[in-house]
Amino acid sequence: MIPKDGSMLIGEPFKDPTSVPSRNASSYKPLHTFALPKGAEKHYQQQYADMYFLRLALLKKAVIQKAHEAWDDFELGGEKATYVERVLDVRQGELCWVVGTVYMEMNLKPNVLDDISKEHWIVAPPPRETYVNSSGADDMMLEDESGRLRVIGETLNSTYVTGCILAALGTEQADGSFQVIATQFADLPRQPQRWEREDSDRTTVTKTKREKSGKVAIVSGLGITGTEDDDLTLDLLLEYLTGEATGPTDQSNAAQITRLIVAGDSLSHASPILSREDFATKKNQKKHVYGYDASAYNATPAEKLDSFLTQVLPTMPITILPGASDPANVALPQQPLHPALFPHSRSFANPPALSNETLHGLDSVTNPWEGDIEGWRVLGTGGQTVEDLLKYVEDVHPIEVMEMMLRWRCIAPTAPDTLWCYPFQDDDPLLLRECPHIYLAGNMKKFGRRVIEGPAGQKVLLVAVPKFRETGQIVLVDLESMEVELVECGVVQPGV
Amino acid sequence: MPPKRRSTGPAAKSQQSTLAFHGASNKVTKPGTRAANAKKNILAEPVKKEEKPEATDVQVKEEEEEEEPTTAEAAIIEQTEQVQQQTQSTPEEDEARRITKKRIEAYWKKEISGDKAPRAHQQGLSLEEKILRKFDMSGQYGPCVGIARLKRWQRAHRLGLEPPIEVLAVLLKEQEGKDKLAVQRSHVDELLNARADTELQV
Repeated sequence: MIPKDGSMLIGEPFKDPTSVPSRNASSYKPLHTFALPKGAEKHYQQQYADMYFLRLALLKKAVIQKAHEAWDDFELGGEKATYVERVLDVRQGELCWVVGTVYMEMNLKPNVLDDISKEHWIVAPPPRETYVNSSGADDMMLEDESGRLRVIGETLNSTYVTGCILAALGTEQADGSFQVIATQFADLPRQPQRWEREDSDRTTVTKTKREKSGKVAIVSGLGITGTEDDDLTLDLLLEYLTGEATGPTDQSNAAQITRLIVAGDSLSHASPILSREDFATKKNQKKHVYGYDASAYNATPAEKLDSFLTQVLPTMPITILPGASDPANVALPQQPLHPALFPHSRSFANPPALSNETLHGLDSVTNPWEGDIEGWRVLGTGGQTVEDLLKYVEDVHPIEVMEMMLRWRCIAPTAPDTLWCYPFQDDDPLLLRECPHIYLAGNMKKFGRRVIEGPAGQKVLLVAVPKFRETGQIVLVDLESMEVELVECGVVQPGV
Repeated sequence: MPPKRRSTGPAAKSQQSTLAFHGASNKVTKPGTRAANAKKNILAEPVKKEEKPEATDVQVKEEEEEEEPTTAEAAIIEQTEQVQQQTQSTPEEDEARRITKKRIEAYWKKEISGDKAPRAHQQGLSLEEKILRKFDMSGQYGPCVGIARLKRWQRAHRLGLEPPIEVLAVLLKEQEGKDKLAVQRSHVDELLNARADTELQV
């Protein structure tokens, strides 16, 4: 007889030993959409114009179709809107609509030429809070292969950023700028059914009985620095996840968690490109060592992360994504964290030579990442895409930005403009081909959740996961009911 | 005392070539394409005539060309090899191989029928090269720099942009010719990524 509040000190002693709750297995099928070729097969000689071309070519059809549906019978002052092929072919006074890529002209955007003139080493550019010019001198343009068209209009005060594909209806003014009345974007793509990939893999048609799905726990921004201040909350989290904390109620809750997703920024200062402060301290050090200084490497953060993972892994499979401050490549899509970082926990993972995924242990995956958990399609990012987008707009909630990214079908619209990115030439995996059921973004300032709907009945759950180091919160998503819970681990000050 | 100068005996025949400040192979101005293409002769006839009397110079130049290709060239080389390794030809390739020369000429006539002025500076180019250059300059198939022409055609085809099949026919025919690499790299790519170190010939 377990009392409701979990306190075992009230009531009679138990007769039977309390049952030990067990965890179910997690049904997991990752996709390798963002894996890049290794080594010498990765080329960098192509231009980024290829990426913009691919984005426009792949999304143009969808946008045109949506715009046709919306504006085919649109009339203004007795004039019907016509579709113009090239952006520069708009005629003055004629009501028409064009499709192009948005380009925001902002002088506060990081400019590579400034950095070259100031320093000789590659250092992260100074972090700017926002690129928006307070005096309003920013311009918005619509671009395609023919050229750029400056656009103005009140409807454009909403959140448009460089890289999204838009259809704009309006007319050209005398000074050459295009006055926009309405805009249209591609909106959500087709959403697969739950369990679609598993069912299509099966050859027999018999419907297998599946167990009730559990919950997935998402934590991001562990921010392990190696000093003692992260020990306490990390240990509390560990105890909660392994079911050692508190009482039977919480333990049975925790027993429902079937998988943990670590969404980026697990290590606090491990990015290969130093921030300005780190670089300044290194430069001022007395000893000038040419090349790599091995004595400066501090292995404690990685060891702490490894021991944390090793203690959780026997009870629960983990998917770990790299983040902005993790030792992975800086350009998107970030490749999986190397198993060399996890000397102990890699025994729970398949070696990369054998297989590129681990279904029941530690799966080190790319950022952004796409996969199927319990049949639901999940799209997760470490948060760099959302952070960068927020710098282009003012007073916008991160959840709104996440919704817009899905509706534009671009996972990283500001790449390659202000977000470092690999120059794709053949195919752009950063475009949304299939609508996910759950979209996660890690390292956000605050927790947020929203369910959005698409034109064809798609439903997506958006979850913004806060930084664990600052808030101590982790997010639990129930995969049967799509409910989201927030669990906070921390120390309660007595008497406050 | 100043060092003893070597007496002017019979001039020893040295292996080194003599300095030559004249001739097509020793131009001081930056031809860009010329330097990279001395081996791969696009403008074959005029260059060859001038090089005949200076056989040694040409030889030295050829040796220098054995250096590592630039990264841009290396990537195009690899893309061409990858494309060539595809043993089974796709349906559009099959169709392209069946296109006759007459049809290609008719296609070209149709392409330039809308031109208001005659094409300047294209007298020395073959019909194939003219067709390929027009394909390079068509912006709707994407940028032509940093990508092999065949790969660009296939990418445009995959994206549903309907690139003309005659261009594929010309590309496949040229591939069977002698200069596989020169054909795959667009002219603009060579101009933009020209090698600056092939000028010094001493």
